[in-house]
Amino acid sequence: MTAAGTYAADGSPMITVGTQEVGLTAGYLLPHRLTTDHTTKQQGPALMPSWMMTITDPVGEGWNRGQVSIGAEAVYIEFREPVLTHGFGFTPKIKYTFVALDQVRPYVEFAGGPFWTDLAGRIPEESSRFNFVLTSGFGLSWFITPQTSLNVGYRFHHISNAGTRYPNLGLNASLPFGGFSFYF
Amino acid sequence: MTSQLFRWTILGFIGLATTTIVGCTRWIDVIPSPNSRQESVTQTIPNNDRVPFVMEGFRMMQNGSPRNPSIEIEQRILNTVQETRLFSTLVPLGGNSPSLDEKMVTARMTFDETIDPHSGAAAWKGFVIGASMFLLSPVIELDYGYAAKTSLEIERWDGQVKRYDAQSAGTVHYHLFGATPMMIDELKGQVAEACLMDLMDQLVRDTGFYMASGTPLPESAIRTVTVKARNPLLSPAPLSVVPVSTAPTP
Repeated sequence: MTAAGTYAADGSPMITVGTQEVGLTAGYLLPHRLTTDHTTKQQGPALMPSWMMTITDPVGEGWNRGQVSIGAEAVYIEFREPVLTHGFGFTPKIKYTFVALDQVRPYVEFAGGPFWTDLAGRIPEESSRFNFVLTSGFGLSWFITPQTSLNVGYRFHHISNAGTRYPNLGLNASLPFGGFSFYF
Repeated sequence: MTSQLFRWTILGFIGLATTTIVGCTRWIDVIPSPNSRQESVTQTIPNNDRVPFVMEGFRMMQNGSPRNPSIEIEQRILNTVQETRLFSTLVPLGGNSPSLDEKMVTARMTFDETIDPHSGAAAWKGFVIGASMFLLSPVIELDYGYAAKTSLEIERWDGQVKRYDAQSAGTVHYHLFGATPMMIDELKGQVAEACLMDLMDQLVRDTGFYMASGTPLPESAIRTVTVKARNPLLSPAPLSVVPVSTAPTP
């Protein structure tokens, strides 16, 4: 009986259960060599189209009031260093968006899934082309219209093969990103 | 080799089709008021025996907290009352009332809705669905519950008051890919409809009470009102639990 959809009468976004989000995010991968055994300075641009579905109404009270959404993201990374190679991945993703600030909504997210890259085998850290990617990070969505947001954020990015083949030191990186989302 | 490839292709298509079809399903279970009757009631009332219906008060609550009355819901209630053809005219909240020397009934309504979005369960199930790479989305069901309780208090021109209560609850069951904001609207609409139908059913059974020829106007045209301040709510009302439907899926 109440207005459902992606916007309320006052123009602020009203994201309810069942609201979908499609987005496109781009960023640049910057390496972290966490141990002395890590020598590769892998870096390059990343492109991440995504789809999300809101599955809860706002929960909690006060500053931590927020909504959970789940979805999936495709990841493409062009490794420009140490050698021009590529990586493709598909990661299911879960996100918690803080809704207390209405049009500016911080969020935290976690994603993980399979990742294929031909960089592996050419570097000492990774031996197999089939890997997994795990990311966790935070961001900020600024709703420029009730259905569109601009997003910026940061992710920590880890690639390894879960011990299926050795060496498996893992590749770690920071991924600052920006992008936009459309809600419907 | 070719037949094996063919078999796997067929199996793949069947799996994909099943996941797509089952993963997009949703259905709504509505539990009507326990007092509601199956058979509809029909009463006849002469045109000149019908009196105006004036909406005098409308309160809305959501999960125990007061909220602004919704014009949409008020309009829907008035439409439902109109469909009974029990009253000559309907005056919405704040509308111009007929003169005091005219017979009329005044109504006060409360609409108490309880939303149980099952957020905790949805978050966990969502995590499991994501972790399974969405393969479990056709078998993991998500739920959203909604219940409505309405009460209608009608005061006749001679000061006699009748009170009617109705309640209904429902749950929308859905799979991840079948979720849409519209399904919540559909659920709320169906629950409210069941609730209002029950209320109108009770109202129509009392047709005789509202016939203008049944009771004369009181001697004094001055209506008495009682004015009192509402007690502030000292502690928040506990959240009521939405009953879970056990009705078979359609």
